[in-house]
Amino acid sequence: MAKSLFEEKLNSGKFIVTTEVGPQKGTDTSEMVHQINLLKDKVDAINITDHQSSVMRFPSLGGCLLVAELCGEPILQMTTRDRNRLALQADLLFAYSRGIKNVLCLTGDSIEVGDHKEAKSVFDLDSVQLIRMIRTMESGKDIAGGCLKGNVEFCIGATAHPSADFIEPQLIKFDKKVESGAQFIQTQGIFDLDALSRFMQYAHQFNVKILAGIILLASDRMATYMNNNVPGITVPPNIIEELACVEKDKGLKKGIEIAVRLIKTIKEENLCHGVHIMAVGREKLVPEILEEAGIMT
Amino acid sequence: MTKNPSYDHTIIPPCQAECPLHMDIREYVDLIAQGRVMEALQIIREGNPFPSICAYVCTHPCEDACRRGQVDNPIAIRALKKFAVKFGGDKMIRLEAETTHDEKVAIVGSGPAGLAAAYYLRKLGYPVSIFEAHSELGGMLRVGIPEYRLPREVLDIEVQRLIQMGAEIRTNSPVTSLNLLFDMKYKAIFVTVGAHQGLRLGIEGEESAGVVDGATFLREVNLGLKPPVGNRVGIVGGGNVAIDAARTSLRLGSREVKILYRRSREEMPADPNEIEQAIEEGVEILFLMAPIKIQSVNGQLDITCIRMEQEEPDASGRRRPAPVPGSEFHITLDDLITAIGQAPQVPKDFRLRIGRGSTIRVDPLTLTTNQKGIFAGGDAVTGPASVIQALATGKLAASRIDDYLRHRYPAISKEKRASMGDLLPRTIEMIRKFNRYEPPIRPSQERVKEFMPVELVYDWEGAVNEAKRCLHCGIGAEILSRDNCAACLTCLRICPYLAPFLDDRGEIQIAEDQCIACGICVTECPANAIAFRKPQEQRRVDEELEHVIESAAKSKSKPLIIGFCCQYGLYGTGALAGLWRETKAGIWIVPVLCIAKVESRHIVNAFKAGAEGVFIAGCDQQQCPRENTAFWTLQRMERSKKMLAQIGIEPERVQAFNLHASDKNLAEALDRFTQKIGELCLVSAFKKEMKK
Amino acid sequence: MIVAEQKSMEEIYRICSPYEKILILGCGTCVTVCDAGGEKEVSIIHSVLDAAQARTGDKPHIFSEYTVKRQCDIEFLEALKDKAGEIDAILSLGCGIGVQSLAEVFPDIPILPGVNTAFMGASREWGVWDERCVACGDCRLVDTGGICPITRCAKGILNGPCAGAKGGKCEANKEMDCAWVLIYQHLVHLGHLERMRQYYPPRNFHTILRPRRLIIKTEINPGGK
Repeated sequence: MAKSLFEEKLNSGKFIVTTEVGPQKGTDTSEMVHQINLLKDKVDAINITDHQSSVMRFPSLGGCLLVAELCGEPILQMTTRDRNRLALQADLLFAYSRGIKNVLCLTGDSIEVGDHKEAKSVFDLDSVQLIRMIRTMESGKDIAGGCLKGNVEFCIGATAHPSADFIEPQLIKFDKKVESGAQFIQTQGIFDLDALSRFMQYAHQFNVKILAGIILLASDRMATYMNNNVPGITVPPNIIEELACVEKDKGLKKGIEIAVRLIKTIKEENLCHGVHIMAVGREKLVPEILEEAGIMT
Repeated sequence: MTKNPSYDHTIIPPCQAECPLHMDIREYVDLIAQGRVMEALQIIREGNPFPSICAYVCTHPCEDACRRGQVDNPIAIRALKKFAVKFGGDKMIRLEAETTHDEKVAIVGSGPAGLAAAYYLRKLGYPVSIFEAHSELGGMLRVGIPEYRLPREVLDIEVQRLIQMGAEIRTNSPVTSLNLLFDMKYKAIFVTVGAHQGLRLGIEGEESAGVVDGATFLREVNLGLKPPVGNRVGIVGGGNVAIDAARTSLRLGSREVKILYRRSREEMPADPNEIEQAIEEGVEILFLMAPIKIQSVNGQLDITCIRMEQEEPDASGRRRPAPVPGSEFHITLDDLITAIGQAPQVPKDFRLRIGRGSTIRVDPLTLTTNQKGIFAGGDAVTGPASVIQALATGKLAASRIDDYLRHRYPAISKEKRASMGDLLPRTIEMIRKFNRYEPPIRPSQERVKEFMPVELVYDWEGAVNEAKRCLHCGIGAEILSRDNCAACLTCLRICPYLAPFLDDRGEIQIAEDQCIACGICVTECPANAIAFRKPQEQRRVDEELEHVIESAAKSKSKPLIIGFCCQYGLYGTGALAGLWRETKAGIWIVPVLCIAKVESRHIVNAFKAGAEGVFIAGCDQQQCPRENTAFWTLQRMERSKKMLAQIGIEPERVQAFNLHASDKNLAEALDRFTQKIGELCLVSAFKKEMKK
Repeated sequence: MIVAEQKSMEEIYRICSPYEKILILGCGTCVTVCDAGGEKEVSIIHSVLDAAQARTGDKPHIFSEYTVKRQCDIEFLEALKDKAGEIDAILSLGCGIGVQSLAEVFPDIPILPGVNTAFMGASREWGVWDERCVACGDCRLVDTGGICPITRCAKGILNGPCAGAKGGKCEANKEMDCAWVLIYQHLVHLGHLERMRQYYPPRNFHTILRPRRLIIKTEINPGGK
């Protein structure tokens, strides 16, 4: 029996679409609720980010609970940056108990890039160790060997970076994630489909579903800013040029066009198992993108 | 962690070691580089009885030893000395000596050895008489060396000074018997009769009219006898006498002067400069040629010559010339001067033991002869040698005679040897290259007309720039306090010349023979473990700063601006000289020997003493003879500025001038700086008022 | 080598201001090497403090200076006992260890830290120091090609790089190389890439339970039983 609805979909062989919602800073969840409602039936699962870019926000766990309450399928993003192994295990226990059964294991961005630069970064575990820890918990024990009351079962995801400039060490880490029990991979933003193809040639040997990360760009300025300031994202020059060529207020339109093109190609050429759309604050545009890309769930 | 300030680990530099008088050349060259020419002259006079003579005719073995020669060319030490003698006012110096002993000493011969012995004996307090056969003192200085090389005025001044010192002069007094002198109550005699007898070629026809030996020829010219010379003169030989005779002949009106030398130019013992100048003046030198027969034909000389070839070097490495059979040829001359060497001619009645080449045999350490109370030295003992060697012998004779008269066992001083190795190729590569700057010489067409000196004296700029090239051998950095040394390797990492190294045991050492005393490591060592081998170098900046602060405090000038200024080169004497006069405007100069020696502490201490502004002015990186000095100075300056800013002293109050060669007009830049300081003072005074 | 950085003169002057007679105490070992607190720095700080005082016209402080071989070993501090009576405070330019040793030896004298102890590291060239070890107590350099990911990776992670590096530089500090790129390259060079493929379990922080004490001496029972 599948651990979660999402796992079931992963195994169904259909083209998977996930997207993500970033919680707000503060307790007013109305915007998040609006976005979840808008997306929950259009995608296979919704990631809730975990202090994305190391900026303090409403917790991922809280966002996931909202998704569950609104009858969506949540993916709990969990970084090792802010919590040690005790806190991580405790949160996982709580998540499972409240029906959140998909988790994306991340190391997390550096504290340095966020808004609490003076904070202590934890990194008690890394993403590979986090995956293993969850698999250990599924065996009924915490990682100190103590017995757990009740079941724990997660559909575990991780990330990969197919367009990294030093790809080989990334592939080693990818191996470890899969060996440790990752069932799906949501990649970093992909713009270069050749890089994705090369990565897939390698990844096909593993029993893991690969969802290509699609970032919605709104302008060339945004792309340049991301290149300089957002870890793990590299927008290639040809995409920046493409964005720069259009009129000032047409940037977003162009961005949507690019995203749609990427998704279409990936799906039509069957490059990988699905896509993960990161709209970076423009979540309301995701349905439009999906529609244009011809994806209906 | 204190250091004993009285150490001195100075190493004798090669120049000093090779100088027969062991003069402190490094010191006086450095003083000239600072423009302190009178002090330079003082150092020179301390080491040399007749510096003005050496300034003209010294064969400068120091320059041959100079390690700068391994980089580009040696320092022009003799020419610098001439500059110091002229600009230091040597002419005006008067000397006196007191007689403190009764024992009279007779000196037979008044060449450089005799004169030097007289000088030092007078200084030791002995009554001295100089016996000279000719009418004037000087020996070879007078009768051998042509006037264009040593103006007679120079010699006369030195002789005059000796008379001032109380030496008794007896000219036209050939000594025939030494016993006679003892009868005259002289207690000791120094025989220094020179080597005036020209050696013979030993070929057929040598007695012909028109053939004369070089020593005789020069003597006649120098004594004003105006020997007749024809248009075509040949000189046989390759030494300085041959060159002197050739150039003298030109000056007497000969049209064609040829030197015949049996070896090649490389073997020619004459000073290369002299050879060069002779050729410029039109002297023709025929190498690998020797006369074998002289015939007098109708008042002309028909010389049969033969070509020579060099054999393979023998065991001693010298290539002997050998005649090429059948290569004879003829040349026609009016006169032939033989200059193949001279020997002493010691009167038989002196009853001195004579050795090889008719020289007097002495114990080289004590200069004693086979007779009690009689000492001998100079060319009469060694055969023809240099003036500087003769002076050294005279000095030695004086102290040996003193030992003898005071009944002391002679104190044999250890020869001063340099213990410095050669510069390594990697060191040489890093040393900035500055070609030797020669003093100007008069054009050859002009100089052959008369006996005026050929070489002129440096101007101020030339001398200072030339002196700046000195590598300061032997006064560089050393790790003075092993205990302090934290083995941080700062010195190893920052030395531009790679002088510091780790030895086999992993201890840091500074190779004394690769260090050129730039001072960067001394200033940067965080443990204060490195010092200059010469302690004055170390203390100088602190002392000068203290002195300035004291003087400024007395004058109560406001606002006080302190400038650390390099004293080398024209900075010392030129651009900044103007600033010295500006002290009234509140600018006080701390002279430093290269700004690389200014530490952050010095800059801060100036503010501590109440300065409103501090500047550093030094040669720009192109002019400074040492590498990276501006870089390190600016590093320290930025460091000080940062710390000062943290205690509320505006960084604008510290500035550097000319380190990057950008401040072309120093005076203008300095004006702007003082104006800025004035404004800052006003602002801070205003702020203070507001606070109240 | 311990690497430290001088505090700003503003802070030093401020922490000194309550005291009249202050000894500026250098340390002749690590902080000398990193130009933070050796004999030379002592004299510079002395001069700056004097200058600050001369300018502000504050109530007079009397600064004196001294440098010991190592502040961390109390035997070296014995030499200061004579001076202790004449001083109100010690401005220590030693590392945090030196400051604490001083506090232990001179319980009656306030010890003022003049430097910020930064890290354990090495000098790559004059005036530049890099951190190299965090004293984790569980060295794994054998598996990482002699390059410590705990120190040199901003996240200290053990199973390979994060996705943040660009052009081989760290996402947290673009001046620094990504440790995992270096490790990968070096292990390839050594032919030991299998070491990077191993899974590394979570670190055992029990080995660095603070405060740590290291004991190599063995309890010996003189009775022999």
